[in-house]
Order: sequence, then C-alpha cells, then structure tokens
Amino acid sequence: MNAVEHQGADAPSHPDSRPAEQGIVISRGLRVYLRTMTPADLRHLSGWVDDPFLERMVGSEFLHSYKHVWDKSPAFYEAVLNDPTQVALMIEACHGWTKPVGVVRLFNIHLLEGYAFLETIITDMRAMKRGFGIEAAKLIAYYGMDVLGLRRLEAKVYEYNVLSMNSLRRNGFRQEGVLRQAGYDGERYWDLVIFGILRDEIEAVRRRDKVYLPLDPSEGNGRESS
Amino acid sequence: MSAAAIGKPEVGLEGLTRLRLAGPLTAATAPQFRARVRNVVQRGHARVMVDLQAVTGLDAAGIAALLDARRALLAQAGGTLVLRTNAIVCRALKDSGTIAAFALSHGSGM
Repeated sequence: MNAVEHQGADAPSHPDSRPAEQGIVISRGLRVYLRTMTPADLRHLSGWVDDPFLERMVGSEFLHSYKHVWDKSPAFYEAVLNDPTQVALMIEACHGWTKPVGVVRLFNIHLLEGYAFLETIITDMRAMKRGFGIEAAKLIAYYGMDVLGLRRLEAKVYEYNVLSMNSLRRNGFRQEGVLRQAGYDGERYWDLVIFGILRDEIEAVRRRDKVYLPLDPSEGNGRESS
Repeated sequence: MSAAAIGKPEVGLEGLTRLRLAGPLTAATAPQFRARVRNVVQRGHARVMVDLQAVTGLDAAGIAALLDARRALLAQAGGTLVLRTNAIVCRALKDSGTIAAFALSHGSGM
C-alpha cells in the first residue's frame, strides 16, 4: 500500500479542558464524577491500602496488588493504565471534597464476550452513606455498556458488607448466588455473595434516573449521537 | 502523554485508507478515534488500515473503539479493517483476548 497523499497529524484535542495531570473526566453525575488516574493518585492509594477497615470490607485485589505485588511502586500506575482487562477511575465528589473519595473499576473485562466485574471502593468514612458509591457504580456501569460494549456486570460482596449489597440492589443488581466460605479475613471464612446485572436492566436503571443521559462524546462517553 | 495524535486519512493504491495514530489510545483519547472513524465511514471509506505503530499504550477503552471500528467497517459493502501493530498493541490485544478478531499487518504499510 502506498500513500498518494501525506498530511501531518492533527493537533490533539482534549476531551475536557482540565490539565492532563489532573486526569480526564470520563463521566459526570450529580454527586460525583469519574476521572482517569494520574501518577499523583498513588499517594492516595498508599494511604488506602493500609486501612484495615477497607481491607476487611472490600478485600480489593486492586489495592492488595498495589501493596503486596507492586510494593507501592510508581510503576503500578503505568501497569494499570495499560492493562486492557481493567478500567480504574478515581471518584471525585462534585462538592465539598478536596481529594478523591474512592476508586471504581471494571476488571476482568472480556470485550468479545461482553462481561466484566465491578468493584467500588469509597475510602473516606465521611463520604459513606451519601450515595457516592451508588452513583459511581452507576456511572461506570453506563460507561461499560456504552463505551466498552458490555452486556453483563458482576460483583462479589462479603456477606457482612450489607452497605455494599444494598448499594448494588439500588443500582438494579440481582443476587445470583453465594460462594460458600470463599472469603477469608485472617480469622474465619465468610460467604461471598454474587450479584449480576444485564444490559437491559442497566438501561432500565438509566430510564428510571433520567438525569443520567449519555454524555456528549467530547466528554469521553463515546456513545454515538442518534 | 495523555492525548493521541490522529493523522488525517490517506488513501493508498490498494484502496486502503490509512489512519495513523500516535501516543496512547486509552479511555482519555478513544473518543477522538471513534469520531475520526465515524467521519471516515461517512465519507464512504470502507477499507481502512489503522496504523498503530506509534501507539504507546492501549487499554480496554481503546480496544473497544477498535472493535467498534471493525464492526462499523464490516457493515459496509466490501468493508475491511486492517491494524498495523507494534509490540505494545499486540501485547494488549493478546492480553484482552481480542487479537483473533482483527486482521493484522506487521509490514511497512504504505
């Protein structure tokens, strides 16, 4: 194949006006917005991975990996950024907070099969029970469906994490089963409760919450306008 | 680097329209690429080579954009999508389990 015309690359355009070092806003809700990770976020992660409450309630492989596999190395940032099986986004409160309130991610993404797993971590105790986690999960679910083309999301919750189970139910997830004594907290075994949601159920949630319309593509949603 | 540079389409002798990308193709930059592919399709180009040799990172959102481009082009009469890859791109496509979905070119391109 030979070029008959050569033109230089276009100047890149940013999805939003924020400096890249602050992260790119991917999705925006009423209470929170989701942005891409930046290298500076590692200092937040460094604090979160040492929180025993988070460890017990979430048992996040993401945080566990940062602490124990990557030994809090700065290289973790690039590894996450270039991992094609996960999308990790920082949760920022729209008002009243000066630092991220958590992280939400889709992982074990299977693009061809159309499914992935969801993990939502609200790290600031003051930010809990304010609907931040519910909205963050909702936004990334829409992102997974609209941008990644996913048709099913799955989440696992420790049986004692009632707050997370209620949050998933409020977002339309259904309990699909129980993995008996599949979790271990260092002292005893606990059941893991499996939740799932399908594309049409996510759409039903979006119709119910009319404020969550697809973002303009320029803000990162990628959904084509009709 | 947070932005992808996307070159203007070039039409080669074999009728393949080439789109060249440089930098990361990720959640932050994939919308630009999607818009460019839509534009190419709207202009009637159905046979496209996406040159990813200068791409420095590829995440799930970037791969999803490539899969959507493939779907859009294959839906056109005589449509095809060829990816010109580098090691980073190949690794990401393998890790995501999507490499078999694409026609790949490792050659010098146009």
